[in-house]
Amino acid sequence: MSENSLAIVNIPIQKWGELYSEEEALNIGTIFHDLNMPFFAAEGVMGDKNPIASGAGSTAKTKEQTEREALMTKITQSGFFLDDLTLYLDTHCKDTLAIRLYHEKAKEYEELRKQFAQKFYPLTRLCITNCNQGNENNFCWQEGPMPWEGACV
Amino acid sequence: MWIYEKRLQYPVKITKNCPKTAQLIISQYGGPDGELSASMRYLSQRYSMPLKEVGGLLTDIGTEELAHMEIICAMVYQLTNNLSIEQVKEAGFDAYYVDHTTALWPQAASALPFTAIEFQSKGDAITDLTENLAAEQKARTVYDNLLRMIPDPEIQEPLKFLRSREVVHFQRFGEALEKTKDKLDSKNFYYFNPEFDKKMFQGKL
Repeated sequence: MSENSLAIVNIPIQKWGELYSEEEALNIGTIFHDLNMPFFAAEGVMGDKNPIASGAGSTAKTKEQTEREALMTKITQSGFFLDDLTLYLDTHCKDTLAIRLYHEKAKEYEELRKQFAQKFYPLTRLCITNCNQGNENNFCWQEGPMPWEGACV
Repeated sequence: MWIYEKRLQYPVKITKNCPKTAQLIISQYGGPDGELSASMRYLSQRYSMPLKEVGGLLTDIGTEELAHMEIICAMVYQLTNNLSIEQVKEAGFDAYYVDHTTALWPQAASALPFTAIEFQSKGDAITDLTENLAAEQKARTVYDNLLRMIPDPEIQEPLKFLRSREVVHFQRFGEALEKTKDKLDSKNFYYFNPEFDKKMFQGKL
């Protein structure tokens, strides 16, 4: 790392530190304690329980929808954990702790997406083969709500 | 190549229409410091970056910005998807409505259309990474301004998430700049352009 120099931006390289749980990380917007820098006007919603992701306040949901939302919430949390960890690894490609964690989390994420395709609908084209018990006469890519509809958070 | 994943990076579920709020939030879709601008900036700059890992970081952040654009669009859509003509008129949404009905179109809150003039791809790694640091700060300020005005938690939650990402991206671009500086002469980072004067730069590697 360069020492501080004149006439150019100098930014310290982040050191590996304490991490949030998957659930907390999504609500906060980062997995790293050291990068959590909230804004005063949004502190009212800084709780560690996200009313949207936890599905609170919603009534009269079918059992299937409740299950689907619970699994989708796990996927969102797991996927975001990987997103943030990937950016860290982009600038810290030799950090063995981070690399090991990446492999562990990526496997969990793959498994969750596979389960989601088996039970509900595919999230990516690659998940299509996991749908409908592998029925090769059924094309399921159009199944499920579009993500912007807010139906399956 | 990109692969679409049929989910939002952060969930959006807004239960009440509010065209006035939509008109403010749309700035982060097509405005000068919006997510579309951010994505196009990073995905344009990456090709000629002298350090491979910096090109990789620009690809990953540029991709995440596309996911942020989708979050913003989902918010605007859910704030306007069942409007009556009375609501359109009362909330000052009428001018947008005349041009786009309730479809999504990339513009700033001030109605300025999206344009590539809002970002740079300058072809000098130090210049571009410094632009990116400023871009993340500008976007953070927009989210601060929105959060101050909008108290509804259904809308604040995703905005708060997006604001946090600006802070993380700032740190990563800073680290990318440090990596680039490491390959240059610390007595004078500006002796040549590492992105264009390739022979001089390769002598340093």
